[in-house]
Amino acid sequence: MTIELQRPVGDPIVVDDPERLSFRVDRRAYTDDDLAAREMTRIFDRCWLYVGHESEVPGWGSYVARDVGGRPVVMARGSDGVIRVFANSCTHRGALICSQSAGQARSFRCPYHDWTFSTQGDLVGVPIPDGYGPGFRKADFGLAQHRSDSYRGFVFVTFDPEQPRTLTEYLAGAAEYLDLIDDQSEVGMEVIQGAQLHGARANWKLMMENSVDIYHFRALHKRYVSYMESLGSAPPRRRGGFGRALGLGHGANELPPAAARPLAYWTPMFGAEVRPRIEATAARFVDRFGAERAERITGTNRALMVFPNLMIIDAIAITIRKIDPVGAGHLAITSVALAPKDEDPDIRKLRKSHYLTFLGPAGFATPDDIEIVESCQRGYLNRTVRYSDLSRGMNKEIPETTDELPAREFWRQWDRLMHGDDGHLEAAHRAEMQGAGPR
Amino acid sequence: MTTELTVDEAAQVRLWHRVSQFLFREARLLDEWRLLEWYDEMLTDDIRYSVPATDVRGETADALGLIDDDAARLRQRIEQLLNGEVWCENPRSRTNRMISNVEILTDLGTHLEVAANVIVYRFGHGRSDAYVGKCRFELVVEGESFRVRRRVVVLDHETLYEHGKLSIIL
Repeated sequence: MTIELQRPVGDPIVVDDPERLSFRVDRRAYTDDDLAAREMTRIFDRCWLYVGHESEVPGWGSYVARDVGGRPVVMARGSDGVIRVFANSCTHRGALICSQSAGQARSFRCPYHDWTFSTQGDLVGVPIPDGYGPGFRKADFGLAQHRSDSYRGFVFVTFDPEQPRTLTEYLAGAAEYLDLIDDQSEVGMEVIQGAQLHGARANWKLMMENSVDIYHFRALHKRYVSYMESLGSAPPRRRGGFGRALGLGHGANELPPAAARPLAYWTPMFGAEVRPRIEATAARFVDRFGAERAERITGTNRALMVFPNLMIIDAIAITIRKIDPVGAGHLAITSVALAPKDEDPDIRKLRKSHYLTFLGPAGFATPDDIEIVESCQRGYLNRTVRYSDLSRGMNKEIPETTDELPAREFWRQWDRLMHGDDGHLEAAHRAEMQGAGPR
Repeated sequence: MTTELTVDEAAQVRLWHRVSQFLFREARLLDEWRLLEWYDEMLTDDIRYSVPATDVRGETADALGLIDDDAARLRQRIEQLLNGEVWCENPRSRTNRMISNVEILTDLGTHLEVAANVIVYRFGHGRSDAYVGKCRFELVVEGESFRVRRRVVVLDHETLYEHGKLSIIL
């Protein structure tokens, strides 16, 4: 028996065949070290990448230090109130100028030779300065500042000075979904302290696909579903939901909630006590936004994928999940919870509690996701089966959430960038975008 | 030359021994997957079991952690682990808990505050992982034995990047 279809001419990784309603990805994409190295230069050195949320650097001199696209950076709010993203590397000999992952600083001092930089990145102190000639100017040695921008509180950076798109242009249809998140509080959203830092022995793209895949939910997360049912979670009050391609590799699923939402969607699992408060909030959203948009903000679950490596899942809680490649065969995950700054303390407690039930390395769902992506990665060791199939929903005008449209959107952008934007998939992409959701 | 223990010291040694034996038994039941016995016989009805995040260590009330189970959710966790629904623990991993540095921090007669260090080795699904942490127990005295009311395991790891997940009870 022949399992393999014939390998297409030119041996492409992404085999997109809209006529035959077929979409396949060569599994080398998950295992090949050369491709992993090329992803760093073609994708992570060029795209806008999520760094953090403005609420993580609330005051002057507050900073976070983390890796973005494999590079150590510092996001700091300067004494002028402006948020900047710097290379976390001393301009003298290269040591990290920030070794704490977060904190409050009057200045950044490199521990190697005590070179000192202001929170705005200027070099302000060099010990024993008479060792330099008259041509040495401190102004030439400020911290390297990356091009950064924020949209509705979400801060992004690009390491490509030539990146042709502004952040808003880059976000394309994803911006609308960030609006739906940030609109959840009049005074702003905030990241809750405490990050879930874990990973998997799998290619990073497997976790991206998993995060935007709802097809697996009832099969893999049976235990979570039965737990929620034991708490009295009701089936969705309306059916439906759909997947969308949002352009430039971004995608989303929107669906009616199967469980409560701490913002303003009550079901018995939250207990009778908070019901009046939650329903009052729901009513305020109707006043602010009108019934239709209020329902979309408060009464709809969504999973947003921002190419290449950001997921925001807004359901029983909001999680911001950053997925970083570590070579071809490993990935690192940073997950945090996002919530309204002015949230009622009892509801904040419910949010955190239910976040933990589902999400994170010890939740009732995420560990199985980790295990399954590792299982896929192991399965790829048998190179006889060369392709993974991502064709679900190509036969529909409006793909459902159990289809694979967002993943295809991801792969088409991946393919364009890996080929240096040669655009040979533009046509297929546009064809599917046109039927990509009712809005 | 031997020194006789004072009455107080002897009582302290006996208490320390009973506490240690209790914690060793707990470790054994967990290692042997006798989770329902552990739940029924060694915990109070208002048990709280938590594992804080690895970046905000210790218990910061406002912070999100990794686990914060009340009795109902812990019970659910156990049932899932036992009935095979936890895909990443089916087949069950083998674990080995090493408990040491057992120290009674406070003794209020009716309950005790106890510290201990723990290493939990986990083997299964082609992996070998070690979880290293510091435990705090609040033990409620019940006759000659105890029940755990509060059980906090503060992991010393910077991240769980290598482990990926925490699918067992620490």
